[in-house]
Amino acid sequence: MADDAAQPTHWQLFIGMQQVALSSFGGGLSAWSERIVVEQRQWMTKEEFITGLTVARLFPGPNQINMAVYIGSRFRGLTGAIAALFGMLLLPFSLLMLLGLGYFYLHEILAVDRVLAGVITASAGMALSMGFKIAGAYSRDPVAMLLAGASFLAMTVFHVRLVPLVLVAGPLAMAWYWPRGEQR
Amino acid sequence: MSATAVCHAVQLGDWRQLLAVIWDFLSLSLFSLGGGNTLLTEYHRMAVDQYCWLSSRQFADIYAIAEAAPGPSSMIVGLLGMGAAVKEGPLWGVFSGLMAEIAILLPSTLLMVAAALSWNRTLNSPGRVAFERGLGPVTLGILFAVGLKILRISDHDTPAYAVSLVVCVLMLRTKISPLWFMAVAGLMGALGLVNR
Repeated sequence: MADDAAQPTHWQLFIGMQQVALSSFGGGLSAWSERIVVEQRQWMTKEEFITGLTVARLFPGPNQINMAVYIGSRFRGLTGAIAALFGMLLLPFSLLMLLGLGYFYLHEILAVDRVLAGVITASAGMALSMGFKIAGAYSRDPVAMLLAGASFLAMTVFHVRLVPLVLVAGPLAMAWYWPRGEQR
Repeated sequence: MSATAVCHAVQLGDWRQLLAVIWDFLSLSLFSLGGGNTLLTEYHRMAVDQYCWLSSRQFADIYAIAEAAPGPSSMIVGLLGMGAAVKEGPLWGVFSGLMAEIAILLPSTLLMVAAALSWNRTLNSPGRVAFERGLGPVTLGILFAVGLKILRISDHDTPAYAVSLVVCVLMLRTKISPLWFMAVAGLMGALGLVNR
């Protein structure tokens, strides 16, 4: 990415991320992001994109939003990140605000409430699947399962809050998994 | 964590309260592991137990709306902010929603910018390996706790639990778009097959 002429401007970052957001109406944000950024606009190679995704997943914050921030800041620093972030969020967030207003003013209507009573059972199932989705990666590591089980119990049974839990369990887990010698 | 008997609703018309809420979201931002879903129980505690913006039932509705709407589902924070102020009018609702969303995204975004500009150092440090491998299982445990919490506030009878379990299995075993699950479940709700 040394060639300055090939670097997207702030406006292009904004428009490109808006295209990603629009294309992914209906799902598949991550796939659309790669298709548009790597294949269509060729801002990054596939390798660069995957590196970015790794960083985006590693750091706190929503993955796809982090990815937009990553892309924006790689080309144009902080202001580029803001341009990409606005592009990514402007339309979905505006729509969500409209949906929210609709909800808060209309949910007393019986028909709306009954549909929602059904929809929430599906979203609850989706929420339940989140843990199972990543559990496979850890199921053969007893220490990992112990950590996961302890974190789960701490929250559900002992009502430990998220921040103290992460501040205690995080460093302990990191110490255990800190790479030692030439193991890797 | 003793449950308070009376929940005093806090609304954001007062700028002091608005600032308090912005501060709460700002300070949670960097604890959003695994893409942000780990924060959901904390959001519930804030919005339902602490500030009383929403009932538990409304929280379940809002979670579903954020999941169904296009774009990152972490935008649920915008809806929480809206719920905090919507009683004072739609404009206040939208303003408060926007402030909440900016607050939750600001710290993580700034950190991400720093990471993007120094990524090669970040990726090669031993701390990164330890962070990824160590925080992964913690995130796993938290996600199960979050899933259970959402399940408990959403489902109140056997048919509802049955639908949730089926959706959970289908989410893991198939690539069907979740929008279909919500559409079918919504229809079941409309027909009275599942109730609150």
